Amino acid sequence: MKNASCTPDMLKTAFTQFLGIILVLSPSLWGQQRDANATTAGTEFAQEILSRVSGLPSLAVTFQNLSSMPPEMQESAQNAVFTGLKNAGIRLLPAETAAGEIQIAFSEDWKEYLWIANIKSPSGARMLTKKVARLQPSTVPSTQVLVLHKAVLWQQDGPILDFYREAQNMVLLEPDQISVYANDGGQWRLRQTLAITHPRPWPRDLRGRLLVNGLQINAFMPGTMCSGSLAPPALDCRASDDPWLVDQGTLTAFFSATRNFFTGVLAGQNAGASVPPFFSGATWPGPGQKQWLFAGTDGRARLFENDLAQPAALFNGWGSTLAVIHSGCGPGWQLLVSAPRDAIRADTIQAVEIAGHEALPASSAIDFSGTVTALWTSGKNADVVNGIMQSPGKERYEAFTLSVTCGQ
Amino acid sequence: MRRLRFRSLAVSSLALVAVAAQAGSRPRYGGVARIALQHKVMSLDPLADEEYPATRDRISSLLFETLAVLDSRGVARPRLASWWSADATKRRWQFRLRLANFQDGTALTASDVIASLSKANGAWKYSAADRETVTIESPVPVVHMPELLALEKFAILKRSQDGTLIGTGPYKLGEWQPGDHASLSANDDYWGGRAFPDAVEFQMNASLKEQFLARQLDPFAAAELSIDQLHMVEQSNQSVLLSQPSDLLVLVFLQPDSSSAARAGRRNLDPALRQALSLAVNRTAISNAILQRKARPASALLPQWLTGFEFLIPGGTDLERARQLRNSIAAQAMPPPITLAYDFSDPVAKSTAERIAVDAREAGITLQPYGESHVNTRGARASVNADVVLLRLPLASVEPTVALAQRAEVLGLFPESSAALAAARPEDLFEVERRMLADFRIIPVAHLSQAVWLSYAVHNWIQDAAGGWNLDQLWLEGAH
Repeated sequence: MKNASCTPDMLKTAFTQFLGIILVLSPSLWGQQRDANATTAGTEFAQEILSRVSGLPSLAVTFQNLSSMPPEMQESAQNAVFTGLKNAGIRLLPAETAAGEIQIAFSEDWKEYLWIANIKSPSGARMLTKKVARLQPSTVPSTQVLVLHKAVLWQQDGPILDFYREAQNMVLLEPDQISVYANDGGQWRLRQTLAITHPRPWPRDLRGRLLVNGLQINAFMPGTMCSGSLAPPALDCRASDDPWLVDQGTLTAFFSATRNFFTGVLAGQNAGASVPPFFSGATWPGPGQKQWLFAGTDGRARLFENDLAQPAALFNGWGSTLAVIHSGCGPGWQLLVSAPRDAIRADTIQAVEIAGHEALPASSAIDFSGTVTALWTSGKNADVVNGIMQSPGKERYEAFTLSVTCGQ
Repeated sequence: MRRLRFRSLAVSSLALVAVAAQAGSRPRYGGVARIALQHKVMSLDPLADEEYPATRDRISSLLFETLAVLDSRGVARPRLASWWSADATKRRWQFRLRLANFQDGTALTASDVIASLSKANGAWKYSAADRETVTIESPVPVVHMPELLALEKFAILKRSQDGTLIGTGPYKLGEWQPGDHASLSANDDYWGGRAFPDAVEFQMNASLKEQFLARQLDPFAAAELSIDQLHMVEQSNQSVLLSQPSDLLVLVFLQPDSSSAARAGRRNLDPALRQALSLAVNRTAISNAILQRKARPASALLPQWLTGFEFLIPGGTDLERARQLRNSIAAQAMPPPITLAYDFSDPVAKSTAERIAVDAREAGITLQPYGESHVNTRGARASVNADVVLLRLPLASVEPTVALAQRAEVLGLFPESSAALAAARPEDLFEVERRMLADFRIIPVAHLSQAVWLSYAVHNWIQDAAGGWNLDQLWLEGAH
């Protein structure tokens, strides 16, 4: 049995693509590619038409555009059809004198263009259709003082919760397994998968934290902790409410076993302290004092200074995902903050700096094509943030890193 | 995929639309989503003959799941099936089931799936290779079987002896008052993880008078709106979603071929008279004036945005030709008055029927519209004492073959339904549709958008292009 098939482990593709904040194609390049695609499709369409009008020496051809196809693309398609017919020796004549007639309509449905040829010949009328994909343009954002750089490391169909990558190994934390990839001459090859066992269904908006130290791996999931090693491959999972490491430094906190947030009870150096429940948090050395920031489950971000008894400032209108990064620019530390979006509206991430009790934008926002579901501070000096983006419609996940360079 | 305010009310773009609150963020657990429905639902059974099946499906889809589900681009994705494949003829399909439990704690098995599907379609043959693999064999090709099985009528559920229906869905049925309300609570053991809200409550036939006056939706999270209600929220910057024009307003001449129809005195009207009526209907005026530009003139059963080929079927008004046809009939014998029944609980149907009567009169055709309490099911239509009914048919799927097959089935055109499912190319489907319309027993009038009014507390409310709701990821602002 072949043909229409669907598996949850669909094609996984790897590539390394350094984007900065320049996105895929410039408008002119995009237009050229769009028109080239139209030429290719038009040539194919002409061949399909020819297979149905064999024996006719001449044709009258008319075109009608009922779609959102731009004039340049229509022209490319028309020229390709004309060329294909002429190259096959067909003479193009007015309808009154031609042996047959073809009315071509460039139509579209909600997903793609639909080209329709109504072919009238002495043997009767018939219809021929061709589906042609729409090419979507990309957008180019502007720049500001600090520049955010995004590097896409990996894309796959299926969730990624967290990841670790160095030159030779890449480890992905997924809902039901840890996948270990090895760098094989620039290509990432799946080396092994380690199953994650859990007694209850995972909560919605599943989150997880992956820590890799040499060959040792630890994965934190809601109500579950897994420990093991990359070599020899082993993973042991158990019910656990051990606190998670929230950032790269000293901030640890307890995570709800059945929900998608930190309970607010802190651990480690801050054991005994608690803050309102939060989705993400960060701590960094401020000017002469320690600072914490938590994105609360009530939609407010709370800034604490020196101690965790009372927030020093509240920020509204932020998203729920943030992470701290050590850039060395300006005050040295910035917060990367997601926008207040949901699973459907595409996300943005912007660098902000805390000055006094105010949060000031420090970079332009990077647009994402989906929702940023995780940001975790990473790198030896907290100079990188690992992120996960979920594409609209849930199908595709992307692992990326963010870094900051100082502006001019 | 953007938030719409009514000020800039627009037909939803191509795939799906969500409205979110001011401070959207990571999903929140908790809260009760109260949803106001326009119509009454008398049974939650996806196979029951229901007056408003699309309304019923809005509730039942949270309780009962299908093997596959369509994503925002209309592509079938795994739901209770984790994997599937077909042979080259598209007659033999195999589905592998995921691990899932019914709400009574029992595991989903292949025999459960076979029991459900065989009730929905007795013409297919079913077999189970093991507890998790189901094979379906169809006598005719079904090109888009996963998309077909994503229809709610193919939901997998267990029927207990006392009539209780048990599903695998993210919500459990709590309180159920047919025709009034349904209370659903989150299924903590759902295989896909507990839903974010604690509960979803549906209020049927809900009056929104207070909400219109106050210009806020409280206590509802969402409410269906009819086209004639849209102006009530139009000036107040509310969040309203409009689907693509997907519901079909259509005139259907009833066939005088059943005993009940014969008892009802139904006649077989001259095909030329039917054609004359089709030519007389001013679809543009109906779409723009009666349906307030929330509709598009329809010449075919499926809309242009879905197929790309509706424009090939003529649907313009030609009063002169209509009069010629009518006069040629009158030369033999005076054409009889035509009785037109419409759903009397639907003000939009009433206005449209009355406008059609005016158009018909312009062509010299006498059309007498009247309201009927039950016209939407085939069973009810069998005893309707009218020549023609005005129906509003929901679009069952964004997969065109499945959508046309469903509309054919609703109209009792079973060979055409099978032919639509076997259509592998757009031109094949066009040919099926053209045949269905050839004798003017079916006269499309308008493709109509669906509207839903949303509270600002609602996140991830997904409305597909056809107006169907996907509330799988719904969550509420302010819930903790």
